Amino acid sequence: MSEYVIEIDSLTKIYKSGKTEFKALNNVTLHIRKGDFVAIMGPSGSGKSTLMNIIGCLDRPTTGRIMLGGENISTLSDNELAEIRGKKVGFIFQKFNLIPTMNALKNVALPMVFLGASRADRERRGSELLEKVSLTNWATHKPSELSGGEQQRVAIARALCNNPSIILADEPTGNLDTKTGEQIMELLVALNKEGKTVLLVTHAIALKRFANRVINMLDGEVTEET
Amino acid sequence: MMRDIFVMSLDAMRSYKVRTFLTLIGVIIGVGSVIMVTTAGNSVGSFVQVQWNVFNPTGMVIGTGTSGPTPSLSIRSVVFTTNDVDKIQALPNIKAVAPIGIVPLKKVLLRNGFLQWESRPGDIMYASTPALLEILNAELDTGTIFEEGKNEIIISKSFSGVFGKDKTLKVGDTIYIQRVDAKTLEAKIVGILKESRTNYMVGSIATPAIICPTKPYYSTYFGSNVGTIFKRVTAYSVLLAEATDIDHVQVVQDEILNYLNNGSSDAGQYKDKNTVFVVITQQYIVSRIDQVMSVIRTYITAIALISLIIGGIGIANIMFATVTERTREIGTMMAIGAKRRDILQLFLYQSTIIGLLGGIIGITTGIIGSAFVVNLLNQNIQALGGAISQVGGIGLSYSVEWFAIAAVVGVITGIAAGVLPARKAAKMDPVVALRYE
Repeated sequence: MSEYVIEIDSLTKIYKSGKTEFKALNNVTLHIRKGDFVAIMGPSGSGKSTLMNIIGCLDRPTTGRIMLGGENISTLSDNELAEIRGKKVGFIFQKFNLIPTMNALKNVALPMVFLGASRADRERRGSELLEKVSLTNWATHKPSELSGGEQQRVAIARALCNNPSIILADEPTGNLDTKTGEQIMELLVALNKEGKTVLLVTHAIALKRFANRVINMLDGEVTEET
Repeated sequence: MMRDIFVMSLDAMRSYKVRTFLTLIGVIIGVGSVIMVTTAGNSVGSFVQVQWNVFNPTGMVIGTGTSGPTPSLSIRSVVFTTNDVDKIQALPNIKAVAPIGIVPLKKVLLRNGFLQWESRPGDIMYASTPALLEILNAELDTGTIFEEGKNEIIISKSFSGVFGKDKTLKVGDTIYIQRVDAKTLEAKIVGILKESRTNYMVGSIATPAIICPTKPYYSTYFGSNVGTIFKRVTAYSVLLAEATDIDHVQVVQDEILNYLNNGSSDAGQYKDKNTVFVVITQQYIVSRIDQVMSVIRTYITAIALISLIIGGIGIANIMFATVTERTREIGTMMAIGAKRRDILQLFLYQSTIIGLLGGIIGITTGIIGSAFVVNLLNQNIQALGGAISQVGGIGLSYSVEWFAIAAVVGVITGIAAGVLPARKAAKMDPVVALRYE
C-alpha cells in the first residue's frame, strides 16, 4: 500500500454556467501522507472548497485522478461515493451542521445509520465518542441547547463515528470565539496524534501553527509553503 | 436501516408538531368526508331499498294528468266510473282494482249524550271497495269489512285514538262524520286496521284514516244532482290497481292505458282534453328515487374526493417547504454517508405516515360523523312525519368498500404528494445543499 492516503494527480475542475466556464482547480497535483496535518489556505474563490469537496467525495473532478487510501474515486457512482464518504471521511463544518431535531447522541451516531449499524452498536459508539469530547452529560440535549463550542465538539465526535482515516475540517473555528476555537484546534491536534490525517481549510493565518504542512491556493493552483 | 430512517422521519414530524398536525387535518377532512358522504348515501340508499320492499311493488296508481319523462297526476279531475273499475278488473294479469273517492271531511264527531257532541278535525277518508285493503296490503286487526250501501266504516289503528286514550274507538262504536258540504252522516265502525306497513308514495294517496263504502258517503256524480237518479254516474279521480306479479307490472300498465285510450272507456269520454291518462307504478317511483339518490351521491362523493385531493396538495405543499427548509440538513446527511435512496425514504416515509395516519383518523372521524349525519337525516324525516316515518328511520349502513377506498386513496395521496418533494431532496447536489443558507 502506498504511503500516501490522498493522491491527487493533474486534477482539474471546471464549472460551467451557460456558456461561461470557470476553472476552479487547475492541474492540481498533491500527495498527502497518512498522519499529516495539512492547512489549506487561500482567499475565497481560490478553489480550496472545491478541492475539499472533491477529496470529501462530494464532487467529481472534470479531469485528472484522485486516489483515497489506494482507491480511485475519480469515476465512482453516487452510491459508491456516498459509501466512501461514510467510511473514510469525517466532515467538520464551520456551522457545525448538526441535525436540529436529533439529540447529541443521535447526531453523533447518525453516520452509522447509513451503514446499517444496529441501534445498540450506535448507542455504544455514540456514548464512547461523546465521552471522548467530554460531553457525556449532554447526550440527550438537542443542538439548540448547546453552546457553539459544544456543538462543534458533537460535530467532531460525529466525524469520528465510522472511524475514518481522513478528517476534513472546513473553517471549524469560523463561528467560534478565539478561546473556544483554540480548544477545538487542540482537539483536532489530539486526533492527528492518534493517527488521523487532518485537512484544515481556513483563511485564518493564526491556525497555520497547528499544521505540519501548509498549502496555499490561488486561482485554482496550489503552492506549498516550506 | 429502513426502520432507523422511519424512526428519523417520526422524530422529524414530532419536531414539527403544528405543521404535521395541520397537514394531517387536511387528509382527515378529505377521508372523513368521503366516508361520511358514502355512508349517508348508502344508508339512505338501503332505506329506499327497504321502502321498495314495503311498498307493494306490483301496485300502481291510475289517474289523469300529464305524461312525459316525469308524469304528474291530478286528483281533482274526476273521470273513472264503476264501469271502468269493472272493465279494468276484467283485464288479464290484474289482481285487484279499487277506486278511490276522496271524501273531504270537515270534522268527525262523537256523541257522548243527548246534545253532547265532541268534535275533532277531519282526516283522510276514502270511499272504496274491499279490494282497496288488498292493494294497500292492509289487514283488519278486529272486526269485518264494511258492506256497500250501509253506514259502516273501517278505521286505521292510529285514528282509533282520535278522541283520546280513554275514548279509544272500538268495533261497534258509532261516530258521525261531517263532510265539507256540511252533510253529517252516521258511521258505525265495523273494522279496525292493523298498523299499516304499506305506503303509497304518489301525492296525497296515503293510507287513509277512514275507509268507507261509496254509498252513502261518496257523492261525486256526473249528471245533475237534482235530476233523475238514473242519469247519475258515480265517478272517481284515482284508481289503484295491482298486477298479479312483478313481471306483469309493465304489461298491466300498457293494458290499462290501452283500455282507457281506445274509446270504449267512460273515463275517455269524461276526461279533460288537455290531460292524458297516467299510470304510475310503484316501481317507477322507487326507481326515480333511486336515480335521484345516485346522482346526488355521485355528486357529493366527487366533492369529497376533491377535498381529499386538496388534502394531498396540502401534503405536497408542506413537504416541498420542509425539503427546502431542510436543504442544509440534507446536504449534511449526504456528506456523512447518506445515499440518495436514504434521503428519498426519509421524506417519503413522512408523507406516507401523514397519509396513513390521516386515513385512519379520517375513517374514525367519518364513522362518528356519519352516525351524526344519519341521525340528523332521521330527525328531518321524523319532522316530515307521514308515510316515511311509519316504516322506521334510516339505519346506519356503512359502505366497507369505501372505507378501504378512502384509506387507500389517503395513503396513495400521501405517497404521491410526497414523491416529488422527496425526489427533489434526493436529487440535490450535496455541494450546493451544504452551502444553502
